Amino acid sequence: MDRVYDHLVTLLADKFEVDAERIGPDATLDDLDLDSLAVVELYVTLQEEWQIPLDDSAAVADLTVADVARSVSALLDEPASGREAVQ
Amino acid sequence: MNAHDRTVTHAASPTAVITGIGSCLPPHVVDNDTVVARGALHTDDAWIRDRTGITRRRHADPGTSTGDLAVGAGRAALASAGDHRPEMLLLATSTPDHPCPATAPAVAHRLGLGTIPAFDLAAVCSGFLYALATASALVRSGTSSTVLVIAADTYTSIVNPADRETAPIFGDGAGAVLLRPGTRDEPGAVIAVDLGADGSGSDLITVPYGGSRHPHHLPPPEPDARYFHMQGRTVYAHAVRRMTQSAGSVLRRADWAPETVRAFVGHQANQRILDSVGDRLGIAPAHRFGNIGELGNTAAASIPLVLADPAVHHGVAPGARSLLSAFGGGLTWASVALNWPAAVPRSEAPPTDLDTTPLCTPDLSRSHPWTASTTTS
Repeated sequence: MDRVYDHLVTLLADKFEVDAERIGPDATLDDLDLDSLAVVELYVTLQEEWQIPLDDSAAVADLTVADVARSVSALLDEPASGREAVQ
Repeated sequence: MNAHDRTVTHAASPTAVITGIGSCLPPHVVDNDTVVARGALHTDDAWIRDRTGITRRRHADPGTSTGDLAVGAGRAALASAGDHRPEMLLLATSTPDHPCPATAPAVAHRLGLGTIPAFDLAAVCSGFLYALATASALVRSGTSSTVLVIAADTYTSIVNPADRETAPIFGDGAGAVLLRPGTRDEPGAVIAVDLGADGSGSDLITVPYGGSRHPHHLPPPEPDARYFHMQGRTVYAHAVRRMTQSAGSVLRRADWAPETVRAFVGHQANQRILDSVGDRLGIAPAHRFGNIGELGNTAAASIPLVLADPAVHHGVAPGARSLLSAFGGGLTWASVALNWPAAVPRSEAPPTDLDTTPLCTPDLSRSHPWTASTTTS
C-alpha cells in the first residue's frame, strides 16, 4: 500500500502538476482540482504503469487519494502480484 | 490475424497515392456561447474550451445534407487532383441522407461520374481511415485505379441540442481525397495501415432508435433515444488506449520511429485525447496538427479536414512522415502511415444547385427551402 500511495503522490505531482503539499490520503481528486477527464487520465495512466485492469467506470472525482491507492493495491494483491510500476 | 498483419509494405510494392485533397464546410460559424444558449446548457465558453479545446464549429443550414457537403468536398478534391477521373467512390459517413439507400451513389451521380461503383462505409469517427485503407487495397490490387474517398457528416442532424455531453462537441463538414496508383517513395503514398474493432463497446457511442433493433414504427425505448448518445468519460479511456496502440502498430509496420514522425493528425475528437495520445507516442507538440478549436469534432470528416486545412498544408513538407489515427463508435479504431501529400488542397462551398436525385423531390420544402419558396411565390 505504501509504495502504491507514494507512487500515486509522485504521479499526481509530476504529471498532473498538483502541489505535493496539498496531497494527503483524505484529499479527494476533486480537492486536487482534477476534473472528470483528468481522473480518467489518471486511471488510464495507473493501468499502464502497474499493468492492472482498473475499472474505468469507477474513475470519479470524489475518490480520495487513499481510495485510489487501495484500488490499485487490491489488484496488485491478486495472483499476478509483486509488480513494480512501469515508468 | 488482424488487418495489420495482412498489410504488405515491402519497399518495392506499389501503393495508393493521395493526388487530390478537397474540403467543404457549411458557412455558418457557431461559437460556444451560441451553443450554450440554444440548448440552455449548464456550462459556459470557458468550460467547453477547457474540456474539449473547441472554440467554434460549423453548423449545416436546414436543408443542407451530408450528401450536399460530400458533393462539395468531392468536387474540390477532383479540382485539386487535376486531370483524373475516379473509377470508384467511397463515402465514409454515419449520418447518411437516408437510412436506405446509401448516399454515395447519389453523390457520384451529382458529381457527374456516371455509373461508377459507389458505396457508403460506416465506421463512425474512424470512417475516413477505414475508407482510405479499403480504397488503398482496391488500388493496390488493381480493382480500381483511381478512387475518390469522401468523408462527410452532419452530426447536427442527430445530436440533441440540450445534451451538454455532445452538443458543444460536434460540427458539420466534409473532406475528400483522390487516390491513384503510385510508389512508396512518392509524397502522398499510403505506407501502412492498422484497423481494429471491438463490438463489446457498441453501446458507448450510439443512436439507439430507428434501426432494425428499435424500428421507427415501435415506441422509442427512451424519449431521447432518437438522438446520438456518447458516454464521454469511458470513451476517453478507450480512445487513448486504442489510438496509442494502433498508432504504435502502424509505426512498427512502417518501420518508422515515433521521433521521426513530422506530422501527427489524430481524429479531432477532443484536444485532451489528442494531447494524451501524442504524449504517449512520444511525438513532440510541434509535430502535432489539428483544427479542433475552429471546427470541433466533425466525425468521419475530421482527419481529411486537417489534411485540407491551408495552414496545416503549409506547415508540413511534401513527403514528410505522417501518422493518422482515429477512434470512433463501434468501437472502431484505425491508423495510417502516410507520406505527406504534395497535392494543394481545394475547398468548395456547399453546392447550391438543386439535388435532382429522385429521393429529394418528394420533400423539396425541407431539402431546399430556397427553391421551394421560389416555386411557390
